[in-house]
Amino acid sequence: MSRKPIFWKWFAVFLIVSGCGLVWAGTGLHVSYAAPAVQDEPTQQEGEPDLSNAYCLLCHQEPDRVWELPSGETLSLYVDPTLLHDSVHGEANPEGALNCVDCHVGQRFPHTVPAAQTVREFQLERYATCRDCHEDQYTHAQDSVHGEALRNGHLEAATCVDCHGGHDIQPQDEPRQRISFTCGKCHGVIFEQYRESVHGSALVEDSNPDVPTCIDCHGVHNIENPTTAEFRTNSPLICAQCHANADLMNKYDISTHVFDTYLTDFHGTTVALFEREDPNVATNKAVCFDCHGVHNIVSVEDQGSAEAIRANLLITCQKCHPNATTNFPDAWIGHYPPSLQSTPLLFTVNTFYALLIPGVVGGFILLVFTDIFRRIRQRLFGKSKSGH
Amino acid sequence: MAQMTERKQYSRFTPAQRFEHIVLLVSFTGLALTGLPQKFSAEAWAQSMITALGGIESVRIIHRFLATLLMAEAIYHGGVITYKLFVLGQRATMIPTLRDLWDLRDWILFNLGLKAEHPHLPRFNFGEKAEYLAVVWGTLVMVLTGFMLWNPIATTRFLPGEAIPSARAAHGGEALLAVLAIVIWHMYNVHLKRFNRSMFTGKISREAMEEEHAEELEAIEEGRKPVVFPQEVVVKNRLYFWPFALVISTFLVAGLIWFITFEQTAITTVPRQDVVVYAPQVTPASADPAVGAALWPTIRCARCHGDDASGGSGVPALRGLTMNFDDFYQIVRSGRDQMPAIGREEIPDGYLLHLWAWLQSLQPKS
Repeated sequence: MSRKPIFWKWFAVFLIVSGCGLVWAGTGLHVSYAAPAVQDEPTQQEGEPDLSNAYCLLCHQEPDRVWELPSGETLSLYVDPTLLHDSVHGEANPEGALNCVDCHVGQRFPHTVPAAQTVREFQLERYATCRDCHEDQYTHAQDSVHGEALRNGHLEAATCVDCHGGHDIQPQDEPRQRISFTCGKCHGVIFEQYRESVHGSALVEDSNPDVPTCIDCHGVHNIENPTTAEFRTNSPLICAQCHANADLMNKYDISTHVFDTYLTDFHGTTVALFEREDPNVATNKAVCFDCHGVHNIVSVEDQGSAEAIRANLLITCQKCHPNATTNFPDAWIGHYPPSLQSTPLLFTVNTFYALLIPGVVGGFILLVFTDIFRRIRQRLFGKSKSGH
Repeated sequence: MAQMTERKQYSRFTPAQRFEHIVLLVSFTGLALTGLPQKFSAEAWAQSMITALGGIESVRIIHRFLATLLMAEAIYHGGVITYKLFVLGQRATMIPTLRDLWDLRDWILFNLGLKAEHPHLPRFNFGEKAEYLAVVWGTLVMVLTGFMLWNPIATTRFLPGEAIPSARAAHGGEALLAVLAIVIWHMYNVHLKRFNRSMFTGKISREAMEEEHAEELEAIEEGRKPVVFPQEVVVKNRLYFWPFALVISTFLVAGLIWFITFEQTAITTVPRQDVVVYAPQVTPASADPAVGAALWPTIRCARCHGDDASGGSGVPALRGLTMNFDDFYQIVRSGRDQMPAIGREEIPDGYLLHLWAWLQSLQPKS
């Protein structure tokens, strides 16, 4: 990959080798990555610290090198130079490959031992470094459910490097399933549910570009707390992003009526009102995930026979309507607009009033007009008293 | 003298009737104001009204309160009607007959100039009977469908589930019909063509009597009084009426209370589910090769062992892995030869299980 003249490589190797008095030709070959980006000043003055990657790697590419913390934990100090080179901060970085000290700001050799007692403490001390370049993402993350959890003392809550990695940072959405695998590292129980869901299995099995990964519903850096009333009230809009999108749904032969039929139904009508009124007020009316599940959403086609689906539906209704009996689920006409075939009674009632209302109202208006017509006529032409 | 007769007022409604009208007016208007925004809840005007009334839950409570008021009024009205018809022996002057159809026809023809004379209308004319009929019919439909909406669980014990959305459609349709009929027919006849205050004052002008109740006016002027039961019959009837009315109205009021307190349709809050959020080292219920396959291109193992896990120079192939999971786990976590140890935070235990299943499922390359 390196396109720099071979001369510089060897010059760098020479500097390193002579400067430190270590003779290890193999090492020099391994650090070939480091050389290109390093030496703006080929010569180094006596007494000034060497800030080159190659200099760091002299020690840090030893696989067995570890740091033992006061807690008894060990932290590997090994950095695989090829991983760093292949990361988003390596060759691929449009700003130019980063050096060790760009992130490890102020690090000099010999190192002062950090005050951190545990590995996690050390990581938490370090992660604000990302902010130097990624201010927006860092700020969003501080406002997120992770940032909040951290401030509340949940030290395991994700920081930048927990999701993105330290040295081996890859584009987070390539391949697409990397996104959900990343979240699944900490959210194992949820991941196991998700990977078997209609969305998760399509992502895992086909790297499907359309199904939601974790972040499509939860957001990326500004991940909201999903347990608030507001999140619940607004959640149908999350589902609607895809399920009301005809282009997307036609690909899979899924009806886009799911959202509008929900809104015209009792549940959706109420939730929509809450959403517009004040989403922070909790409502007991069902949102999409109350019936379909959250992470373990399955396709209706995977639920077996029509009888099994009906039996399932009753169980679902009974979660909120504990006294519901066999007929009750039909009160929900499904995600289909009323039709003569599927809901004859409802269709008939709708048709009846669609004819009756204009008929009666039109009739009244006509009668009123005949009366007005007569009054105008009487006023203009005749003085005769009505009825006499 | 002519002036005097012009201004003469005739008694039309008793205070009790006016009171009923006010109850009806208040409940009907309130029900419309709280009901229509629910029917048209997607519209901006409906949302502003709901907000003004304190939110949808409060709108529903007001609606149900007024519905209860209207139903109580309906029960009372039933009692009054029974008393008038069977105790006093008055005629049911509100019941539409064929004669009203001919009156309507004659009125239209007169309006169009095709008939010389305005029909001589009775105490309650065709227009008023139509309204009364609409109130009775409408209240019946609204109470029945309202019951279904108020008590959907109980309703679906006896009726198919589709009855509920159908009741909702009928409740909304009937409401719209009633409101439009009131706005057009009632407004025009009682407020626009002539401001008729008789429902509030109890008195009606001679002019209005001439046009709208000519037949009744003639009877009054000729001193004809409607035939009713003699006083001694009334006294006797009362003896039967009161116990009867007491029993029936007790039943009806009990029915009303039953109606409005019948069921707890839904739980009041959706219970929170407990989800284990932080679970980094979960053991999957099953090892899924498909998950392992999807995981492979996202982890660094592929860099040395190859995109298809077929190995490379000095790096072993992993396709068709035969070792057991414990050995596999040991090697990944501790490293071997050139391979570095890979920690649990980088590839959690659960992922390793899927990975191992996938590697085992692959056919070794020949």
